[in-house]
Amino acid sequence: MTTPLVVLSKVEKVFHAGKFEVPALRGVDLEISGGEFLALVGPSGSGKTTLLNLVGALDVPTAGRVQVLGQDLTTLGRSERAELRLRALGFVFQAYNLLPVLTAQENVEFVLELQGVGRERTKLARQVLEELGLGALADRRPAELSGGQQQRVAVARAVAARPKLVLADEPTANLDGENAETLMHLMRRLRDEHGMTFVFSTHDPRVVEHAARVVTLVDGRVAHDEAHPPEPPHEILPGIGKLRPSGGLTA
Amino acid sequence: MRGLEAKLAVRSLGRNVRRTLLSLVGIAVGCALAALLTGLLRGVTRLYGQIAAESGAGHLRIAPEGWLAEREVDLRLRDGEAALAAARALPGVKVAAPRTRAQGLLALGTHVMGMEIVGVDPSAEPVAYRFVRKVVKGRYLKPGEEGTVVLGRELARRLDADVDDDLVLTVVGEGGQLRSAMFHVVGLVTSGNRDLDAGLCQAPLPDVARLSGREGIGEIAVLLSDARALETARAALAPRLPPGDVVLTWSEVVPELAGHLKQDAGVYQLLSFILVFLVLLGVASAQLTAVLERRRELAVMAAVGMRPWRLVTQMLMEAVVLGVAGAALALLVSGTLLWRLATAGLDLSRLLAGRSEMAFEGMLVEPRIYGDFGFWLVPYVLGLALTATVVASLYPAWFAARLDPAAALRVAQ
Repeated sequence: MTTPLVVLSKVEKVFHAGKFEVPALRGVDLEISGGEFLALVGPSGSGKTTLLNLVGALDVPTAGRVQVLGQDLTTLGRSERAELRLRALGFVFQAYNLLPVLTAQENVEFVLELQGVGRERTKLARQVLEELGLGALADRRPAELSGGQQQRVAVARAVAARPKLVLADEPTANLDGENAETLMHLMRRLRDEHGMTFVFSTHDPRVVEHAARVVTLVDGRVAHDEAHPPEPPHEILPGIGKLRPSGGLTA
Repeated sequence: MRGLEAKLAVRSLGRNVRRTLLSLVGIAVGCALAALLTGLLRGVTRLYGQIAAESGAGHLRIAPEGWLAEREVDLRLRDGEAALAAARALPGVKVAAPRTRAQGLLALGTHVMGMEIVGVDPSAEPVAYRFVRKVVKGRYLKPGEEGTVVLGRELARRLDADVDDDLVLTVVGEGGQLRSAMFHVVGLVTSGNRDLDAGLCQAPLPDVARLSGREGIGEIAVLLSDARALETARAALAPRLPPGDVVLTWSEVVPELAGHLKQDAGVYQLLSFILVFLVLLGVASAQLTAVLERRRELAVMAAVGMRPWRLVTQMLMEAVVLGVAGAALALLVSGTLLWRLATAGLDLSRLLAGRSEMAFEGMLVEPRIYGDFGFWLVPYVLGLALTATVVASLYPAWFAARLDPAAALRVAQ
């Protein structure tokens, strides 16, 4: 039996809005194993983003325990959590959140530079962009890219350092149907080719279809947790280069 | 700090050009004004130091031990000739002028004036003492001659004396005896100031020493070729003097002027501090606004693993870029103005109510002041601009480092 990548035990998270306490998560228990492709679904305010933030070491729980890669996040300081995010986690945000003054290539390189990757980071970043069909757009800044292209660059940034776990908060929320499909295929391929674990939140039923496991949150509690047979892979979509089986993301 | 972070710092400043330009102008104007004030202060201090030196004090003065406390004219150097030889042998000495002083009365006919008579070496004195350089009638004293005297034009007027008149000079000698001698007026000089001219009476040094009954040299004014070497020269000269004689700087000889310059320096420094503080507030405000505007971006940086100290470094790097650019602009502005001030000077005669000169503590203060233009400007402006921008960015940087990425992203989305 493999050790779970993420373990949440009786996790509670309460936000304070003035005098009021707003519970976001109420006693969540959840385990996520390596290589999963997991969708978090639920209505707005159900706690999806809060759960992703806790798993992503961006926040700490009010009560309970969050373990990621064997490390109890409640015992880690701010810098140690930053180090964990840098070394083992990748993030894809709903609003892309690329650094606007850097080009696509530089955005991908940025994380590698933070990791201390030397000169080879330029080659590595270019390689990742090529693999995701973004080679021709490498020198463009985010403002010069479409939403779908920006989100693919964000995925490239998230996976460039080969993290064990990629967290995506409503990654397709700002994309049209075709771009959303493209992105989900891309993420599935990355999971298949490199064994990365993907956890993403979504409202979109078409996106849920891609998930191998669907966890439904309602009012901060896990309402359903069920295996879900993903739809078969589509044809290769335009603009997405096929990943080489040998693991083309490595330098 | 690595390439991309530096690139990020430079490009971040370009995203709000108007704010960056305003910050740059603020830094440049503040630092340029502070540099201008400092350049003026340095120029004025150097100018007044030179004025003090050439108004009798010398850059350095060799005086008998105890003179500083008593300022007694009757004191004589322990071994004046040895001290004079030591001073003249010192490298960098332009002139060493020996003097001896006596309090006395000058009488011509029914006119009598009480004053200080100064015995001088005619070959050295005009170089060391600028007030006797302009002879308006007759001539200046000649080396080796005896029984001659030159008077200030105003003193001559008050005594109703003229060239070729004979004066009676009476001094109180050793033991309280009155000693008198006849002196022949050979010339009238002018300093350009009536008050100074009214107290100017010089005779050959041996005559004054003999008349007062106190042989020897009372003081030696030492003028240096380069006033900046003052402390070095003092340190070199002091051990060469006979025991009992000391070396003083002009600021010790004329403490009133040194005090005024110190006061001026204090005011200039206060003004500079206020200017830089205002710049600092402006930059801090602009940087904090920039951080607030970039909350989401900073949160993303933190989310992808940028450690808090690296966020601080990132913000400080932006401050350094801003500081260097501001310093370059400030150097351009202050350098141009100071060069102009150093070459053409600043005419303050309007402030002197139309007078072309002003006497202060026995010195003639000229209405035109000069700034100091030199390489010192570069480290000064660069240091000031960098310090101001980095200090101003500390709080915004700390704010960025303390940012809660989850909260910032939540607000942004």
